Amino acid sequence: MPSEKEFIALLNENQRIIHKVCNLYMDSHADREDLFQEITLQAWKAFTRFRGEAKFSTWLYRIALNTAITFFRKEKRQPDLYSTETLPDFRITEAHDPVEEQVKAMYMAIGELSKIDKAIVMLYLEDYSHQEIGDMMGITPNNVAVKMNRIKTRLKEQAQKHMNQA
Amino acid sequence: MDLDALKQELNQRLATDHAVRSGSDLGALLKGKTSSLLGKLKRSLLIEIGCCIFFILLMTYICVATNHWSLRLYFGTFTVLMFAFGILLYYLYRRTLLLDQQATSIKKNLQDYVNLLQEFVKRYFQFTMALIPICITFSIVLSNADPIHIPEAEKLAVKLFTAKWQLHVFLVVYMLALAISVYYFTKWYLRKLYGKYLDELKKCIAELED
Repeated sequence: MPSEKEFIALLNENQRIIHKVCNLYMDSHADREDLFQEITLQAWKAFTRFRGEAKFSTWLYRIALNTAITFFRKEKRQPDLYSTETLPDFRITEAHDPVEEQVKAMYMAIGELSKIDKAIVMLYLEDYSHQEIGDMMGITPNNVAVKMNRIKTRLKEQAQKHMNQA
Repeated sequence: MDLDALKQELNQRLATDHAVRSGSDLGALLKGKTSSLLGKLKRSLLIEIGCCIFFILLMTYICVATNHWSLRLYFGTFTVLMFAFGILLYYLYRRTLLLDQQATSIKKNLQDYVNLLQEFVKRYFQFTMALIPICITFSIVLSNADPIHIPEAEKLAVKLFTAKWQLHVFLVVYMLALAISVYYFTKWYLRKLYGKYLDELKKCIAELED
């Protein structure tokens, strides 16, 4: 029987993974809270089967992404537009900082991606190899490379568009 | 401006939490109730299994208590059908349990979800559709073989229909309308409950297979 204490300690160390998934997949605070709770619960349920063959962080990524992609969101809460307004760190930064503007634009561009592409980008940002991303996604490393190229091109264009609009 | 250049910044921003959570906060979350579709499906299956048992008991009681052999046959058959439905519900419940608590790849997880939901929708639809001809056949055969007289209904029939053929036409039209409306209502209802969600999951699988 896995111990709750052990699980909470591991989760506490790796909770940034859940925050990343929640921030990228949900736009409103309430939705993020719901998804955070759901991922925590699903991870706790699945922890009985965690044998330590993979790193806890990799295992948690799988659970978190699976939960976020299949999450059944209440329609009434669905936002019309993806924005950076509800992300805490964006609110407190200074306006007209070029790097900040670029990060904002890129964040918005990532927000417009499909659920699958978001997952790939997230794993890419974590420096997982194409092989590891492929294993997690259930596709070949070649497929990951092709998708990643397409995503990067699209993000560049979309981020530029957001920069011009700002 | 590209993704690689902003990697570090994005990683840092995305990992930001909107509320600091301590170990005890996380512990409290573990006591919560899941709001996943799988969790909802499990709860609804358990409720339906409970309803199924209730109706089996109720129909068995009517079957034993009534003096009409037609009612006995009618409720006896539906007890058996309800029992079969209960087994089907239990099978679906077991499948949701197997699907739960897995750390599989995203594609496999999506395929499992779609397969389970499609089977759930298919079996529900099949069972509802199978009930229509059974109900209609039973009501025609049994009402002729062992008619039960309800004076109020007979008075109303006499008032509304001057000839017997009119009553028969009305009954045929009524049963057809009922069958068609149940067919479309079930389709619409299942689509409303799971259609959009299933489409979304299928779209994700198609994207992974692209």
